[in-house]
Amino acid sequence: MNSALPRILSVGTSNPPNRYSQQDILDLFRVANPAVRSMFGASHIKGRHLVLPEPDENGVPSEDQEELLIKHRTWSLRLAREAIGKALDPHKLKPEDIDYLCCITSTGLMLPGLTAMFIKHLGFRVDCQRTDIVGMGCNAGLNGLNPVSGWCTANPGQNALMICCEVNSALYIYDDTIGTGVVNSLFGDGCAAVLVRSEVQDDTLAPSILGFNSHIIPDAWGAMRYNWSTDHGKFSFYLDRDVPYVLGLHTETPVDGLLTKHGLKRRDIDHWIIHSGGKKVIDAIKYNIGITEHDVRHTVGVLRHFGNLGSGSFLFSYKRLIEEGLVKRGDRGVMMTMGPGSTIETALLSW
Amino acid sequence: MYETIRFEEQENIARITLIRDRINMLMVRELTQVCDHLEDASECKVVVIEGHNGHFSHGIDFEEFRPDQPMDIHGFNKWEKICVRIERLPKAIVALIDGTCAGGGAQLMLVADAVIATNAARIHFNEVHLGFLPGMATFRLGKMVGLGRAKRLIMQCPVLTATEANELGIVGQVSDDLNAALDETIKAFGPIHTDAVTLARRLLNESFSTDFENAIGNFLAAQHRAIHQTAFLDTIKSHKDE
Repeated sequence: MNSALPRILSVGTSNPPNRYSQQDILDLFRVANPAVRSMFGASHIKGRHLVLPEPDENGVPSEDQEELLIKHRTWSLRLAREAIGKALDPHKLKPEDIDYLCCITSTGLMLPGLTAMFIKHLGFRVDCQRTDIVGMGCNAGLNGLNPVSGWCTANPGQNALMICCEVNSALYIYDDTIGTGVVNSLFGDGCAAVLVRSEVQDDTLAPSILGFNSHIIPDAWGAMRYNWSTDHGKFSFYLDRDVPYVLGLHTETPVDGLLTKHGLKRRDIDHWIIHSGGKKVIDAIKYNIGITEHDVRHTVGVLRHFGNLGSGSFLFSYKRLIEEGLVKRGDRGVMMTMGPGSTIETALLSW
Repeated sequence: MYETIRFEEQENIARITLIRDRINMLMVRELTQVCDHLEDASECKVVVIEGHNGHFSHGIDFEEFRPDQPMDIHGFNKWEKICVRIERLPKAIVALIDGTCAGGGAQLMLVADAVIATNAARIHFNEVHLGFLPGMATFRLGKMVGLGRAKRLIMQCPVLTATEANELGIVGQVSDDLNAALDETIKAFGPIHTDAVTLARRLLNESFSTDFENAIGNFLAAQHRAIHQTAFLDTIKSHKDE
C-alpha cells in the first residue's frame, strides 16, 4: 500500500434528537391530500430525524424563511460539534489538530460560511485552511472529498476534516401538493464528519482513496433544483419524477471509466457505498450496473432509518460498512453519489 | 490451455465441455477464467455447458478432502460463487445432459436457462444420502419444481430419467440428438438481446424472494434500462416504418 495516498481514518455522524415516523409527519402537518398520504405510506423510509417546531395557532408547524435560515445555522453547529467529536476522539485528536477544514451544505445559505462559524465556536485553529462547498446538493460529499484528498496528498501527515452538514428540515414547505409531498417525505437531517490524512501507519485498516470520476448529464440540468416560491416566501426544492431512472441509466459511464483507469472490472469491487437518494434511484443503479440487493444493503438501510440525508448520506453507509466488520485488507470499494446537475460522482477505495 | 474443461467459441456460441468426470477446485478456477473471458472479451450470445464420454458430471471430487484435516466451508463458497457467476452471464445458458448428472453436476445444470437431456440422462441430487447438502439447489430447485417435489428430490435422492425431469420442468426438451435439439433451442431464444435476456432472467430469479412492492420497483428500473437499449429502439423504428 502506498503510504502517500490519502486515507479515510474515521467517520463520525450525528442527527437531531427527534425522530419522526412517516405517520407522525402526516399527523403533525395534518396532511389531507390522499395522494400525498399514500406517497408517505409507499415510501421506503421508516423514520427521519428532523428539527420541527411545535404547531402554531393554525395547528401545524410553520416557519418563515428567516426562521429556517436560523435553524440551519444553529443546528449545523450542534450537529457538527457531535459528529466532529465522534470522528476525532478515536484518534485522540482535537479540532486544534486539524490543518484543513472542508464544509459542505446545501440546506442553508450563510456568509461567512460554516467553516468560519466552526472555527469561531468549535476550537479549530485560526490558521486552519478551509473550503466551503455550498449548493451542490446530494452529490457534494464526493465533490468535497476530491479536493480534500488532493490537499492531503500535497500535505502529507497533516489532518483534513470534511463535514457534510444538512438540515433538510430547513427546506420544509407544506402546501398539500404532490411536489412538496415528495420532498417532505424523503429528506432527513444529519451530519457526517470524515477525517482524512496521507502518511498513515500501514497497520491500520483505513482505505486509501485511489481516484475520482465524475459524470454530469446536462440534459437533466433542471431535474433537481431550488425554486423560489413567491407564495411561501421560501426556497422550494423541485425533484423531477424521471430523474432517478435517468441517473441510473448513466451510472455505467462514470463507474466503468473510474474502474478502467485502475485496471479493474465491476466484479473486482467488494463494497458499493452509494448515496441513499431514494428507492427508485437505488433500484435503477442496481439494474443498470448489475449489483445486488446485498451490495446496496447499507444504502437501503440508511434510507430506511434516516431518509435521504443529502451530502452526508454515503458516509452514514460507509460507517455501517465499517461497523459491520467484514471489510478486509485488499478489498476494493466504490463510493457513488448522485445529485443536481444532474450528476454522478464516484471514488475508488482500496483497503 | 485448460486441464479440466475444453472451451471453444464459434460464431455466436461458446461451448464449455467438462472433460473431468468430477468437479475439483482446478475446475472451479478454470470456469472462473472462462467467465472472465465471456464477460470481458466475448461477443457470443449463447453458452453451452456439456459433459463428455457419455456423462455430464459425477459431482464433486472427494479426493481433495482429507479426513485427517479439519473441514472448512471455503471450497463450497467458491463453488457457489462460480455457479452464480455462470447464472448471471450476459448470455443465454444451455446445459446439455447425457448420462450421469449427479451432485454438483446437477447443481450446475440448475443455473442454465434451458436444459436439454438425452434418454440416457440420469439426474441425481445425491448429496443428502452422502451426508452433506446439494448447495444452493436447496434454493433454486423449490422455485423450479415446487417445494413438495423439491423435498422429495433432495431428501429422498431419486435418480430421475430425462422424461421424469422433463415432467418436473427441470429439463425443457428430451432428445437423443443433442446438437439438433440445441439448434432448435437457440432458434427459439431468437435474436438474444443481451440486456433484455439478462434483466428478464434476474427478475425471474428474484421473483420468489422479493415482495411485490419491491419487485415492481425493480421491474420499473429494469424496464427503464431495457427501453433505452438499441434493441427496443429498433423495434419502435421498424414498427413506425411498417
